[in-house]
Amino acid sequence: MSTPAAPIPARLVISVFLNEKLLIETVAEDLARSFGSMDLVSAWLDFDYTDYYAAEFGAPLFRRVFSFVRPVDQGRLADIKHTTNAIEARFAANGRRRVNIDPGYLTMERFVLATGKNFAHRIYLAEGIYADLTLLYQHNDFTPLPWTYPDYAGRKMTAFLSMVRKRYIRTLEKTGALRS
Amino acid sequence: MSIKKELLEILACPKCKGDIHTDDAENWLICDACRLKYEIRDGIPIMLIEEAVSVDPT
Repeated sequence: MSTPAAPIPARLVISVFLNEKLLIETVAEDLARSFGSMDLVSAWLDFDYTDYYAAEFGAPLFRRVFSFVRPVDQGRLADIKHTTNAIEARFAANGRRRVNIDPGYLTMERFVLATGKNFAHRIYLAEGIYADLTLLYQHNDFTPLPWTYPDYAGRKMTAFLSMVRKRYIRTLEKTGALRS
Repeated sequence: MSIKKELLEILACPKCKGDIHTDDAENWLICDACRLKYEIRDGIPIMLIEEAVSVDPT
């Protein structure tokens, strides 16, 4: 029988896409107020894999990804998604969102996104939120799965997440969390 | 792909979110707008605003 044990804390990673680049500074400040300091910020990444969001957000869309210093309990992902949904709502105007915020967590083995949309491969967490296993860490890199969104499977995204993972491992080593 | 090119393509200054570049020795990532530099330690950029160093002489 396996012995239940709490998982080691994960690294919080939050992705934001929007049309109005000038909003990013304010969004980042709101995220920092909720989740603490960021230690890595991605360059602008193109978000041109789909026009699904164009009607709501406008076009073109741009994405930035933020990595946060403070470790998070993996069991809190649903709560975190509700917090980012509230931040999205604060920026909404005329019934339309102006920013899309996707929180997730990174561990040694995987990158998981939170979503409110059910699908065959998604596991229900709590409070109407599902976990999407987005990337696996295999063969020294983050690798996509058949359902991974193309923007998360892209080289720039996986390179950024690999850098986040290096920092995460360093933090675990410093805190002794890697010792079994 | 070298780490330098990869870094520059995927990272931004955590303070102003603007572009950064490496120094000649590739030990620091520099934000010209903020006049700050961030150390690259063992290949990992330390992009904490509180650990950044001014590029201007004191």
